[in-house]
Amino acid sequence: MMYMMYFLLFGLVLGLAAVASNPSPYFAALGLVVVAGIGCGVLIWHGGSFLSLILFLIYLGGMLVVFAYSAALAAEPYPEGWGSWPVLGLMLGYLLGVVSVGTLFSSSMYDESWMVCDEFGEFYFVRGDMEGVATLYSSGGFMLAMGVWVLLVTLFVVLELTRGMSRGTLRAV
Amino acid sequence: MNPYILTILLFAMGLGTTITFASSHWLLAWMGLEINTLAILPLMCQSHHPRAVEATIKYFLTQATAAAMLLFASITNAWITGQWNLEFMSYSLPTTLVTVALALKIGLAPLHAWMPEVLQGLDLTTGLILSTWQKLAPFCLLLQINPSNTSLLLILGLASTLVGGWGGLNQNQLRKILAYSSIAHLGWMILVLQFFPSLTLLTLLMYFVMTFSLFISFKVNNSTTINSLSMSWSKAPIISSMVPFILLSLGGLPPLSGFMPKWLILQELTKQSLAPLATLAALSALLSLYFYLRISYAMTLTMSPNILLNALPWRLPSNQHTLPLAITTSLTICLLPLTPAIITLLTL
Repeated sequence: MMYMMYFLLFGLVLGLAAVASNPSPYFAALGLVVVAGIGCGVLIWHGGSFLSLILFLIYLGGMLVVFAYSAALAAEPYPEGWGSWPVLGLMLGYLLGVVSVGTLFSSSMYDESWMVCDEFGEFYFVRGDMEGVATLYSSGGFMLAMGVWVLLVTLFVVLELTRGMSRGTLRAV
Repeated sequence: MNPYILTILLFAMGLGTTITFASSHWLLAWMGLEINTLAILPLMCQSHHPRAVEATIKYFLTQATAAAMLLFASITNAWITGQWNLEFMSYSLPTTLVTVALALKIGLAPLHAWMPEVLQGLDLTTGLILSTWQKLAPFCLLLQINPSNTSLLLILGLASTLVGGWGGLNQNQLRKILAYSSIAHLGWMILVLQFFPSLTLLTLLMYFVMTFSLFISFKVNNSTTINSLSMSWSKAPIISSMVPFILLSLGGLPPLSGFMPKWLILQELTKQSLAPLATLAALSALLSLYFYLRISYAMTLTMSPNILLNALPWRLPSNQHTLPLAITTSLTICLLPLTPAIITLLTL
């Protein structure tokens, strides 16, 4: 089963290089979908099933969908993807960089594992991530209120930054 | 801007700094820094001018990068040591990463390139908030971590004083000069951070007072270039006569209060057997002194040819609130004899 993790992580690095190398937001967001999906798989592997579910729902299903719609509004008729040589060259360059840095910093292929192993020092009654969310609502109540207030301030900040349509700060869509 | 929104944003800025001050957990410290960054963004682009918007975007990108680096460092520290406390970072990788992240946050050389352009895009009041209030939270964190590498902080500090001096030499835009002055002063603060942290705090507070008076003097005269300063003597002659003292205080000349931090830092560096470094830092302060002198030359020491009509604005009553300017100018000029008391007050 190590091979499964190996393929997942390989796909993660590939997706990250895709996000970084694409100038068009469509293909970069597609790479981001792949990265987030694989990241959820890695998370499930380490036992964070609830966190992975939340990631899928909120990050992919909420934020990325909104981003995709906004990017579609600011449409470019001819998005540049891996079909054009500069983008493909950049992608291969990033992969080359990752491989070279990896070989530079690894002593050997067989001594050390590139995966993180979990150590169960104690037995827990509930999963770590679900207990974390529950703690946020109970003893972390003050921080929850702070987080809520900060989100409200973020809303005001975004509204203030985008106010005014074509006369405003950001170009009108 | 809508006064309710302005209230919420200023409150959020106060909240962010307070959260960072009160935190001993890295996540909470990061949260306070992010709140500060977020809340100042609409203040920065309120004029909706393209240059202001560009400055806002540059500021957001650099601060977000710094915050991400801070997060990576704290997570790495949690991975290695298993705890999230600010003061117990004992491994060199997270500590170095945190130092570099905070250096990017405050604009130390060689991570200073965003500072002049960002300050140039803002009006003087917002630039003042950026130069003073936004430096408080990162410095609070810098004062609490144990530095891993002696030479890193010294290199950051010396590079900042040199870059702040040399960079400001060819400028005639006042906001860029103020940015380079900020970089130089931050360099002095970082130089002494690992030896005598109270001096860092002292330099920070003295810098706040001095730069507040300079920013507000420029704001009262409504001038953002040296050229417009040369015609501003008639708007408020008393300000024109005080600004050279503020500038020389920023340059660190005795008997003005700006001498106090530089003197004590040089003394501390010498005690730590870093006398050549102290000499280099003192010489780099000369570079900054040159462009401070140039500003005072244009503003006060020379009268440019002008028609008689432009000598009359002082007769008109002004609506500016100048009490803070009066207080900070007096502090900038007269605080040196109180050095022992101030050191005792600020001993951490």
